[in-house]
Amino acid sequence: MAVELDTGVGLTEKAKDRLERYAELAVRVGANVEEGQNVFIVSQIEHAPLARALTRAAYAAGARYVDVNYRDQHVRKAMIELGPDEALTYTPDWLKERAESLDGAAMIATTGDPEPELLGDLDGERVGKAQMKEVTEIMRRHMTARAVNWSGVAYPNAGWANEMFGEPDVERLWEAVAFCTRLDEPDPVAAWREHMARLEKRAATLNELRFDALHYRGPGTDFTVGLLSKARWMSALFHTANGREYVPNMPTEEIFTTPDRRRAEGTIASSLPLALLGDIVKGLKLTVKDGKIVDVEAEHGAELIRSQIGRDEGASYFGELALVDGTSRVGKTGITFFDTLYDENATCHIAYGFGIPETFEGEPGEGMNISSVHTDFMVGRPELEVDGLTTDGKAVPIIRDETWQLPE
Amino acid sequence: MSREDRYAELAVRVGANVQPGQLVDVLARVEHAPVARAVAREAYKAGASYVDVYYSDQHIRRALIEGAKDEMLSWTPPWLLKRSVQVGDERAAVIALTGDAEPDLLADLPGERVGRARMLELAEESNRQVNEQLNNWTVIGVPNAGWAQQMFGEPDLERLWQAVEFTVRLNEDDPVAAWRAHVTRIGKRASALNDLQVDEIHFRGPGTDLRVGLLPESRWQGCESLTAAGIPYVANMPTEEVFTTPDMRRAEGYVRSTRPLALYGRIVKGLEVRFEGGRIVDVKADEGADVVQGQLTTDDTAAHLGEVALVDGTSRIGQTGLTFFDTLFDENTTCHVAYGGAYAEAVEGGVIEGVNVSNVHTDFMVGGPEVDVDAVTRSGTVVPLLRDDVWQLGE
Repeated sequence: MAVELDTGVGLTEKAKDRLERYAELAVRVGANVEEGQNVFIVSQIEHAPLARALTRAAYAAGARYVDVNYRDQHVRKAMIELGPDEALTYTPDWLKERAESLDGAAMIATTGDPEPELLGDLDGERVGKAQMKEVTEIMRRHMTARAVNWSGVAYPNAGWANEMFGEPDVERLWEAVAFCTRLDEPDPVAAWREHMARLEKRAATLNELRFDALHYRGPGTDFTVGLLSKARWMSALFHTANGREYVPNMPTEEIFTTPDRRRAEGTIASSLPLALLGDIVKGLKLTVKDGKIVDVEAEHGAELIRSQIGRDEGASYFGELALVDGTSRVGKTGITFFDTLYDENATCHIAYGFGIPETFEGEPGEGMNISSVHTDFMVGRPELEVDGLTTDGKAVPIIRDETWQLPE
Repeated sequence: MSREDRYAELAVRVGANVQPGQLVDVLARVEHAPVARAVAREAYKAGASYVDVYYSDQHIRRALIEGAKDEMLSWTPPWLLKRSVQVGDERAAVIALTGDAEPDLLADLPGERVGRARMLELAEESNRQVNEQLNNWTVIGVPNAGWAQQMFGEPDLERLWQAVEFTVRLNEDDPVAAWRAHVTRIGKRASALNDLQVDEIHFRGPGTDLRVGLLPESRWQGCESLTAAGIPYVANMPTEEVFTTPDMRRAEGYVRSTRPLALYGRIVKGLEVRFEGGRIVDVKADEGADVVQGQLTTDDTAAHLGEVALVDGTSRIGQTGLTFFDTLFDENTTCHVAYGGAYAEAVEGGVIEGVNVSNVHTDFMVGGPEVDVDAVTRSGTVVPLLRDDVWQLGE
């Protein structure tokens, strides 16, 4: 089948202008590209119009060199379907070198799956195994060293819109994306500044309260998870080791921390479908004992999750807790985006796998989870109640009916 | 099988001749995705150990030319150099896709910057690999709307597909067998020319009187090449030419290009070039002379010849009567010469004195019905090779 590639040729002037402004926001506020930096862009080929606009915006911001690495899910599918076993985990030398070169550079990754179910009919175990571990390892090292100012932004495309709306209404998706990323504001840069200040304040409040654990309660969920005294709550206003400020996700509505990998008990029911490795996981239910996921059930895609949490020792332990309330612009759209970047900002979520180094000031072995995996899944919904538990066992409401309960 | 799959199968099995267990390097533009994907599938079916598809994008290149500092224009990112080195070290199969989706994209940029915007280290590395015959490789053209628009004045993709399928013999019931017969026929021409012991090729026609000297070690080649390890492959699909490497020190006279030349996103029209002592000393053109001039300053030897190739009227590309604005096709329409680096495989002894080594290689078309081509043998006999586009030696 010949796929007609969206090259952005037929865009109206208004749409072109929106694309350029969006790219500029990602470059200036998101990755916050510094003059003289190399900029690495990672995109699906279907995101070419955005990758191009990002490249232009990056040079305009003074980038030294912009490298675009295009990926193609169909090529990946060919490998999983027809390639030998060794191909699944093979990493070409140059991709390792490219990953190493990210040290001190800026990076922008684009999301928005043009064919979300492309890999759905393949062997789940092979799909789960197909990962360039060595690249992940290098990237993890950069993240831990806070060596990269980076951001993730989505590119609205027909396949993604179709997954969301049942029809390829790209304009409707663009409007949702523009709303969520505050591109609809007269001064998006100022709107972002204000927005991040509000999230920073929430994180500061939680840090002052020094809870020992969180308790999640709702339909199918009764989950208690320990917090770390050496991990703090943060918004997605990050700084590199060199002090460069950046916003790694656009949109972002969350405040988050790294939990104690050793302390988690109970059951969790996911509240939204989860797009994962080319398939959609639905109705996910996890049972947790002594910090570890011991049972996985799902209406669809359980095998994919099982394969992923079996990938390494830390994959079945938790790495992130994130709180989002009803003021979230993503949540306000009322849309399921089938894209983690968006859906995780619609509502509260939890991730198994790697913790968030930026939040953690302790030493290895002091409770932050290590893994090559980090998968967010959504647990928030109107019925979900989230409490903070103090060291003396007192419960303090944090979220009720999707409303933030602590002072703002 | 879709037409993309059939085409990909031909490129994998006949073109690059991918061997079981080989790493396969695919070089494509984003607009070539439908065929690049098919190539990946067919390569795995042929037993590839891994298929690495590298997509490039002319818009990214345009942004570089417009936005980057001067010194970055010819910079090679170390990771891309590494990629190329691994392709050589592992004796990978290489499949490159051409077919410009936006041929005029760079037309409004300064030609001098466009000409300089090439990754020099990368070009040197791939030249080395071609000269050492490390890889079995092929180049195919991927029909797309922008290319069709340029050729026909309308984005008639179906018409372009049919033209391409005709030129690469995909319209035959058994394209593989058709290629085998074709390779044999052109191979015979190469043998006949080698037997003649040609010292000089003489092109004569309107605006053209050019003598190109050959080396005693120059060898004429047909469609099929061999890697150093002995893997046969067809480097261009389509291909209709017999070609050899000339003596870079011997080219005298002037030549008028008979076809437009697509170069770095620009179209060069009415190119006229004058040679003295093997070197291009004057470049004129109705359009795009600056791109050629920029390219000729890339290195010391860019202005010397690196290839001379003969094509007659039986060429399927010539028979279409079309100008493809793509060297892969247009150079197979008719006779051509190239300035820049030579193919070492077409010389007994490889890179010996007189063989051009350069980071550029640009073919331009000089043949046609009005251009007579003669061979002057080492004993001084003049032997007609082409008259009115008809091959004059026995077949």
